[in-house]
Amino acid sequence: MKSNWSERLFGTPKFEPLVATSYLFPLLYLLFFLIIPVLAMLAIAFTYNGSLSLHWFREIFSFNSDYIKLPSTWSLFQSVKMPGTGETLYIIQGLDFGIVLNSIIVASVVTLLASFIGTIFAFLMARYTFPGKNLFRILLFIPLLVTPFVSAYVVQQIFSEYGIVSSILHALFGFRVRVDGLAGIALAQSITYYPIVYLNAYASFINIDPSLEEQAENLGSRGFHLFRTVTFPLALPGIAAGATLVFIFSLEDLAAPIVFHSNDLAKRIMSYQIFSKFLFGTGERSPLIAALAIVMLTLAIIAFLGIRKYVSLRQYAMLSKGGRWSPRVSKPRIGQALIIYLLLLPLLLFTITPQVGVVQLAFTEQHRIVTNVTDITASVTGVMYPTGSITNGTLVTPKGGWFFQGTVKGYSDSIGVINGSISGFFVGKVTVNNGEVKLTGDISYADFQGLASRYNGTIHTQMKGPITGTGELLSGGTVNLTSTRFKATMFNIPAGQVSKFSFNYVKQMILTPDVRRYIVNSLLYSTVAVILIVLLSITSSYATSRFKGALTPVLESIVILPMAVPGIVVAMGYFYFFHLVFPGTPLDPISPATFNPAYVLILAYSVRRLPFAARSVYAGLQQVHVSLEEASMNLGASRWKTVTGIVLPLISLNVFGGAMLSFVYAMSETSVGITLGSLNMAKAPITAFMKEVLLSAAGSINIAAALGVLLITVQIISIVLVNVITKQRYSFIGLS
Amino acid sequence: MVEVRLENIVKRFGETVALKGISLHIKHGELFTLLGPSGCGKSTTLRIIAGLDYPTEGKVFFGDQDVTNLSSSDRGAVLVFQNYALWPHMSVFDNVAYGLRIRKLPKGEVEKRVKWALELVKLQGFEDRYPTQLSGGQQQRVAIARALVVEPKLLLLDEPLSNLDAKLRLEMRSEIRRIQRELGITVLYVTHDQEEAMAISDRIAVMNVGTVEQVGSPREIYEHPKTEFVASFMGKTNVIPAKVTEREGDRVTVEFESFRLEGLTYSGEKDDVVIVIRPERISLHPVEDAITLEGTVDLVEYYGFFVEVIGVFGERRIIARTISTREVSVIRPTQPIKFYIRRDDILVLPKQL
Repeated sequence: MKSNWSERLFGTPKFEPLVATSYLFPLLYLLFFLIIPVLAMLAIAFTYNGSLSLHWFREIFSFNSDYIKLPSTWSLFQSVKMPGTGETLYIIQGLDFGIVLNSIIVASVVTLLASFIGTIFAFLMARYTFPGKNLFRILLFIPLLVTPFVSAYVVQQIFSEYGIVSSILHALFGFRVRVDGLAGIALAQSITYYPIVYLNAYASFINIDPSLEEQAENLGSRGFHLFRTVTFPLALPGIAAGATLVFIFSLEDLAAPIVFHSNDLAKRIMSYQIFSKFLFGTGERSPLIAALAIVMLTLAIIAFLGIRKYVSLRQYAMLSKGGRWSPRVSKPRIGQALIIYLLLLPLLLFTITPQVGVVQLAFTEQHRIVTNVTDITASVTGVMYPTGSITNGTLVTPKGGWFFQGTVKGYSDSIGVINGSISGFFVGKVTVNNGEVKLTGDISYADFQGLASRYNGTIHTQMKGPITGTGELLSGGTVNLTSTRFKATMFNIPAGQVSKFSFNYVKQMILTPDVRRYIVNSLLYSTVAVILIVLLSITSSYATSRFKGALTPVLESIVILPMAVPGIVVAMGYFYFFHLVFPGTPLDPISPATFNPAYVLILAYSVRRLPFAARSVYAGLQQVHVSLEEASMNLGASRWKTVTGIVLPLISLNVFGGAMLSFVYAMSETSVGITLGSLNMAKAPITAFMKEVLLSAAGSINIAAALGVLLITVQIISIVLVNVITKQRYSFIGLS
Repeated sequence: MVEVRLENIVKRFGETVALKGISLHIKHGELFTLLGPSGCGKSTTLRIIAGLDYPTEGKVFFGDQDVTNLSSSDRGAVLVFQNYALWPHMSVFDNVAYGLRIRKLPKGEVEKRVKWALELVKLQGFEDRYPTQLSGGQQQRVAIARALVVEPKLLLLDEPLSNLDAKLRLEMRSEIRRIQRELGITVLYVTHDQEEAMAISDRIAVMNVGTVEQVGSPREIYEHPKTEFVASFMGKTNVIPAKVTEREGDRVTVEFESFRLEGLTYSGEKDDVVIVIRPERISLHPVEDAITLEGTVDLVEYYGFFVEVIGVFGERRIIARTISTREVSVIRPTQPIKFYIRRDDILVLPKQL
């Protein structure tokens, strides 16, 4: 037995090609499509003017730079007067500590909030039985459904000055509130990510041997003391694992910052900075992007390794696991019942509003009230952003719109005469005459974005879009719109709305070839990625669960590593690496003529979503005793025959469950899809389109919401399938 | 049907040495048992013979063929696993037929052989059941049928009875013996239960921490243990540390406490010895050529048809086992008592650590 290198490396005394492949295929795959691209980025981040340098990191880590600084203002909220009505509006947007610290602070706040909410609900569901528990169970399922962008959009709307929260405060106290910027991001992310902690914490609470708590009770501990001294410490590894995932997810999240991007502070966060520097750059982007990605990766890896160390030190939660036990559940006392129904139920209802809102948006047609409006005198007050200029008689404003306020007079078919003010972003054709800006022309419905609603006869709209217009410039030079008063005449302005249930957006989603193409792209890429994932997870899990070679721990770590690598880091790594190694091929993102996002996206999906399936398959293999394979080989079967005839049939359900999970999360993959994926929109996935909708005024949020509903449907179908076929609880996300 | 030879098998798992150089010779057609406490290396030895593990050093021969480097699938030494390892997704028929199909036997032949194997283990009519629908004993039989159907050169049984309840264990024990006799195949049997080993085996190898302590028939092993470990592992016994004080050829005088036992047989070199006396070989009545120990009764334990009298001799407690008779029933603790032991029944063995 001298071929000991095989035993040392693969744990098989003799070299077995199948086993070696099981090790080497996933190892090399992840080496090429995860490790090396990220390392390539490292090389770029440490290069300045062709030589090794800390230049880019010095730029990031210098105090009082854009990246690390003290806030210029320490006030947690600003109060402004609402245009038109003059009501007080408090804007809560957080403090600016610079881009790097902002990211860390937001991620930490989100982690704390999500852990708190998740743990409370997990403890409630694991330890109490109360009327309506099934309702809680169903409701708690809803926040697990992933709808990128649109759920953050709904949160933004709820906390806008015209949202529910503001309206309630207005009715009670007479002022309005808007949560925006970093605070808005933190809020949206907390609501999105708390289910991750919930699932992990719930599993931990359920897995605590009741005798451990009973012994403590028996010794005189009870109530909060029992929780603090026994229950919570035992569940902590699980909670901490979930919390770490939340930290990493918050750090890398792009959806919430993009939704809040009209607020300047919301852009001052690492993920958005990498994203926008990438998106608005051309060709080989600045190495600063690579440096920022490295900083983000370092933070994520530290969090990840920290939790791995911590969890492995504290495996005791499973210490006395043996046999089945019925978990300890009790009825809540009066005070606890009050907390459950008066505090937790409303909180739970609140956390499902994103999903409810997405569904509502997708199926609600805003039926516009046609209003003939004449003689509008609109005056511009407050901050106008962005400003426009007239060049050669053409007035051009950048993308966006400007804030204006005016009076609307007119009548509508359904609500009669409308008399009130209109405020919001607005778009139209503009002519300039004698230094006076005149808005004319038919402003079509499609130019207006956003919701219109009526309060006390006042119609508020939020509209945005690009403005272009032609006019004669008499006085010469540039007209700055900031302080211009202008007169406008408008016809057929949508001035109010009635909501109506409608399948129109869903129909549009399916029937519009452009939109349908995104769906087909996403389905195709995800399916191919899942096939790769199945191969990768079967080979890697088989190798790590069956053989104890030197490569085993390496493979074990590398397979879950994608959990710790932020998506935007993968995207940027691919960007630099594929350009470097495959220039001018479909893999080269910088070569617009040849680049086909399909390949890059399939690779990215297969790497990023591998851990989900790999864990499931690994768990399945652990339940198949090795002797079942040994018996087969002992009876004369080859390794291949044994794996295909014995192992695969026995773990088929786990493979199926893991594949579904990976598929669902591949469909909703954001970071790579909206960066590399949107470099060629004809081949872009769903999420790239959703991003376009939220970044520009050209699309309809309702169609984005319809896509959100599509994703929800895919997820629900997967869950039901997995439940029915495997009879197993569908576990979304975990870390162990 | 083959004879098996192990030559100086050493097996290391990383730092730990599981087998420290084992040599065994299992004869054609015998039921050979590896007996020892858990962790002694008996299962590792079995797995090495089956080809599921490979030795670090040493060789395995089946007859004249060196099979050391042969993979498990090519050896024809079929193992019946402790947990039976029945494939839950296959019916009884498919489980048993598996090995035959691997050998690409024609369909009719497969059916015929499976039928034969299931009849042999008395499970005809169970073909379409799944393993989960069977009792522990039935699963055991399927596992044995699955192994026998391929006509193995050697049948390996790894603690096959440990998962069965007491009654079933006795039944399966004689069943295995019956099948082995009927087919005349070589069987290697692994167990930690010395009673099971003695009842079923032609020969036994007693193992301890990676070495073979003694090989022999059950009677040899029980009555003439060669080491202190074998003596104490095979049933309840009195092991008394002592010292050799006088020697005359094989005749020695041994002392423990204040007792001096003359005329015992011992040929070892070490003077630190143990005296091994089986409790049932101690008489409460004078016998010929015996030594006499005088002490007091510490405890009398009643077991139904026999009684154990525990006497104290100096500081040393010695157990005597005797049939329950009326005379014995009057023995009470603290009474003086005499133990008579024939010199032939006293074993003097070198002390192990």
